[in-house]
Amino acid sequence: MTPRQRNTGLIAAAVATVIFITPFLYIFFMAMKTKKEAALFLFSWPSEWHFWANLTEVVKARNYMLLLAYFNSTVITVGAVALLIIFGAMVGYVLQRRPSGWNKLIYACVLVGLMVPPAVVPTIWVLQGLGLFKTIHGMVLIQVAYGLAFSVLLFRSFISTIPKDLDEAAIVDGARPWQVFFKVILPLLKPVTVTLIVVQSIAIFNDFTNPLYYLPGKENVTVQLTLFNFQTQFQSQFNLLFMNILLVTVPPLLVFIFFNRQIVAGMTSGAVKG
Amino acid sequence: MANSNAPSTASVVLRDLTKSFGAVDVIKGVNLTIEPGEFCVFVGPSGCGKSTLLRLISGLEEASGGVIEIGGKDVTHAEPSARGIAMVFQSYALYPHLTVRENIGFGLSLARMPKAEISRVVEATAAALQLTPYLDRKPKALSGGQRQRVAIGRAIVRNPKVFLFDEPLSNLDAALRGQMRIEITDLHARLGVTMIYVTHDQVEAMTMADKIVVLNAGAIEQVGTPMELYNHPATPFVAGFIGSPRMNLFTGPVAQAMGCTTYGIRPEHVTLSETAGQWLGTVRHVELLGADAIVHLTVPDLGALIARTSGDTALAPGNTVWASPMPGRDFRY
Repeated sequence: MTPRQRNTGLIAAAVATVIFITPFLYIFFMAMKTKKEAALFLFSWPSEWHFWANLTEVVKARNYMLLLAYFNSTVITVGAVALLIIFGAMVGYVLQRRPSGWNKLIYACVLVGLMVPPAVVPTIWVLQGLGLFKTIHGMVLIQVAYGLAFSVLLFRSFISTIPKDLDEAAIVDGARPWQVFFKVILPLLKPVTVTLIVVQSIAIFNDFTNPLYYLPGKENVTVQLTLFNFQTQFQSQFNLLFMNILLVTVPPLLVFIFFNRQIVAGMTSGAVKG
Repeated sequence: MANSNAPSTASVVLRDLTKSFGAVDVIKGVNLTIEPGEFCVFVGPSGCGKSTLLRLISGLEEASGGVIEIGGKDVTHAEPSARGIAMVFQSYALYPHLTVRENIGFGLSLARMPKAEISRVVEATAAALQLTPYLDRKPKALSGGQRQRVAIGRAIVRNPKVFLFDEPLSNLDAALRGQMRIEITDLHARLGVTMIYVTHDQVEAMTMADKIVVLNAGAIEQVGTPMELYNHPATPFVAGFIGSPRMNLFTGPVAQAMGCTTYGIRPEHVTLSETAGQWLGTVRHVELLGADAIVHLTVPDLGALIARTSGDTALAPGNTVWASPMPGRDFRY
């Protein structure tokens, strides 16, 4: 390593620390402070550590709203991601493996799904018409609809890297089409599935606007909405607001740290050939 | 073999078989009978339709016209798994996420055979193919030859009446290819089942086949035993395709002077002499192979001529030499 390389490396590391670590540290310190100290908005070491007191107060706020929010967000995330993977893989498989005149049209629809911005008010009409407005499963379906195009594209490009010989070997071995998919293809999609789990679960768990539009109601609150709800209540208690932010940030961060390596592998293996 | 029931075998009959991809006719009316227990090799240049023909027999491609019979039963529109065939792919097509044991037993588990029975059959097959130490490995931890044997094992356990091989040795190095050639021939002798083998390598075809089918542009050029094809090629195409180095073929005025449109003479049937002969040529290049030597000549009347001579030849580039065809060993078309 030349001195020049070392110096640029150090500068890059320092910039990255300022940009990525400092805000998180700020949140962390603010969450530990007393109400009075937090009101000063200083980037400083807390004079007293109020971790437990702040935590219990945030959790207990509004009749344990945060716990309900965690439950709702988890149900929406798990349900939507599971459906995204099953449907994305199936559609991607059929699009890639069975060329037909319809493929172009279907592919165009998928791309439209990726490009056209969702219209909120008509969607609410549709949901109301179907009796799905203000319901958790309605929210799951909304997330599936929004994420499916990306999921299909990712799976389709990954499936194109799996040799067709494998399908044919399975067919000669006596597999039915659904067995070819579930026993041979789906297990091979693990890298791209992990990528999708991470990317989509973080996006859905952190989603703020969609639950705000489509999932109103006190009993339907999600974690990002607790921030919104607490903002007014904690106007003068920024330590609690920051504790809330900290609690909301931790689950996606854990998912990301655990699957970090597979995400990169899945992204590139899907992207290189397709 | 692995299964306790006696190995059954079946004839394969193709009648007026055609296959088109859109406007392109890939197989143009093939008629062929393969006897039970025969080792039949489809050979031809790339793009001649030999793999397509195999895929039609396997059922992976739907025939555009004609009839396929296996064991006297019309299977033209039957599912691949209902045809009593097993196939070994060029890429081996092993399931990467399954162990060798699961790969070999995959077809049996799909057929809902009891677990104990599967395990017994798989272990017997693995033992016969010397795969026992590798049963719990994944395919990526195997060498090319071992993968090939797993693919063969997966075919054997299904107890098929007809084995289909699609260029199974083309991904192996030369030494291993020679060894696997012998193993597959042994397997054929042991199982006694019909085998159909696709290759573009005429050495594989010559050494393994009971019957060679030479294909060209989607049609059969000639069917026969290896020596029949070598000694009596029916067309200039077969004459040029079978035998190595390839036969010297001459068209135009040279052939007309001989009273035909194509005149052919194999390099091994050209004699070289310092003193007298039919054609006087200049040596362009000599390939010394040890036991024999391939001499490339330039003959003013003919163009390029290849001759095979003994390995201790003293010829060198630039020498002039007389070349003559052995009487009765030339071909006129």
